[in-house]
Amino acid sequence: MAEIAIVLTITILASILIAALLLYLGSSSGRSHLKGAQGGLRDAGAAAGNNQSDIQKYLQDALSEQLANLTDSSRYLNKITTAVSDVFSKELERKVSQSAQEISGKYEAIIREKSRNEEIALKKYQTVSTAKKETEAVIRSIAEGLVVVDAQGNVVMMNPAAEKLLGVTQKEKSGRPLTEGVKDEQLVSLIRPQPGESKGREIELASPQDETKKVLRASSAVIENEDGYTVGMVSVLSDITKQKELDALKSSFVANVSHELRTPLVAMDKSISLILNKDAGPLTETQEQFLSVAQRNLKRLGNLINDLLDLSKLEAGKIEIRREPLSIEIIITESVEALTGWVRAKSIGVVKNIKSGLPRVDADPGRIIQVLNNLIGNAIKFTPHNGVITIDAGLSRDGKRVEVSVKDMGEGIAKEDLPKIFDKFYQAGSERVTADISGTGIGLSIAKEIVELHGGDIWVESEKGRGAKFSFTLPVY
Amino acid sequence: MEKSGIKVLVVDDEDDYRQLMVFWLQSKGYNALPASSGEAAVELVKEENPDIIFMDLRMPVMDGPKTIARIREFNADVPIIIISAYLDDSKIREATIAPGIAGVFYKGKDFSQSLILLESALRTHKRLKK
Repeated sequence: MAEIAIVLTITILASILIAALLLYLGSSSGRSHLKGAQGGLRDAGAAAGNNQSDIQKYLQDALSEQLANLTDSSRYLNKITTAVSDVFSKELERKVSQSAQEISGKYEAIIREKSRNEEIALKKYQTVSTAKKETEAVIRSIAEGLVVVDAQGNVVMMNPAAEKLLGVTQKEKSGRPLTEGVKDEQLVSLIRPQPGESKGREIELASPQDETKKVLRASSAVIENEDGYTVGMVSVLSDITKQKELDALKSSFVANVSHELRTPLVAMDKSISLILNKDAGPLTETQEQFLSVAQRNLKRLGNLINDLLDLSKLEAGKIEIRREPLSIEIIITESVEALTGWVRAKSIGVVKNIKSGLPRVDADPGRIIQVLNNLIGNAIKFTPHNGVITIDAGLSRDGKRVEVSVKDMGEGIAKEDLPKIFDKFYQAGSERVTADISGTGIGLSIAKEIVELHGGDIWVESEKGRGAKFSFTLPVY
Repeated sequence: MEKSGIKVLVVDDEDDYRQLMVFWLQSKGYNALPASSGEAAVELVKEENPDIIFMDLRMPVMDGPKTIARIREFNADVPIIIISAYLDDSKIREATIAPGIAGVFYKGKDFSQSLILLESALRTHKRLKK
């Protein structure tokens, strides 16, 4: 009995030892290969799935051998061996199938991930290609011509509208300069924009199809790459032929209206003058008084018409600015002198702060006097009796402009009215307009147009109850 | 020379203005004659031989410059003062290039200013004749 007890003890110990060993090896086999147990067990992980009985047999043999070495008794040998190897193989089977499951799980995850990425990429591609198609459709269908040229000036793309406007096709022009093949007589003129004007240049084309001229406006923008190098230019062409015709019609209309409106006014004014001057006989005092009212209002109507015509001419670009080097001091003095009568009538003081040694400005004297008369006239209008008007003139910070400002002592302009003050027919707060103030409401619009035509700016600063200050700049000669 | 002896021809298709100007000139003592068209003006220059002419620029059929050209065909020296409804009329430049133009009178201005032009034109003309 003692023999059996020893053999059993040894067997149990050995099996625990081996089981522990296998357990350790099994856990590493999940990652890679199950390395040999007992020297002979190799690549069990891979082999296990296919050939478990072989391994079992091999293990049984190996164990029998080992146990035979440990004990003389071979009576229980086979029984013990079988029991131990059963434990082994079950454990192994469990481990291997666990590993296989883990591996296949991971593999599945990878596949899923990959296909999901592919799906995302496909969706992104579809989005991008839809966006591209949309952009192309937009470019194709816009009414304005669009031409893109590279840095060498060769056409990269043009839309159908541009083809139609220029009378060429993208196929003909692709990779070639835009102006190539355009005959000189077709390109009638190329008007460069005036400084400070952002309208783009105007191109007059004699259309190849019909003999009527075409006027195109090209607004171009340089295309820069990320490094700031010019890589090309994109131009938007719009057909402004109709607009030009309308402009011409408008200006001839303006000239006609000018004549038609002034003619009756002049006749009325002259008739009244003849009576008032008693060229047509004596007048009673009352008759004289009423005729004076009629004449004053006629003058007002005449001024309104003149202002309107002036503005419409300015807007149509029909007014020529005759620039010359001007002393702003002389211009201010002239303007103040012209308004002396009115200034005296209201006992208003005029303070002039003109910086000495100011450079001359590059401007049209008649037009600048018109601007100043308007600003100073407004200041007189809104400054109460015995008030003061201040006129300042100095150099701008960059030294490139002369800045002139006219400050009054009037009611000032409410904040909400400030942006609208240069609009046509706008008179800030009707309470500003008293009986003697007869403004047409377009004087400031005219002043703005004139200053901007000179390349200057005009603006107003004011607070309710603290007067208003109108300023403008003119370029130094 | 007595004012009443000075013949002033006023050429304007616009009835009201022409009548007013003629009335005013007459009230100032001049012998003013009206002409309502270029054609009528040419005839009157031939018949009446005026001392000076006020000539409107914009008239139908025969406008100011054309009428002036016709008058110059047979009368080289009668001084002519252009009358215009507006200062920036493009026809003013066209008309003033012609010889014998003594000035431009803007219709909106006071009649008394036309008198200054008229008198100085007559003086200049008299000096030139001597």
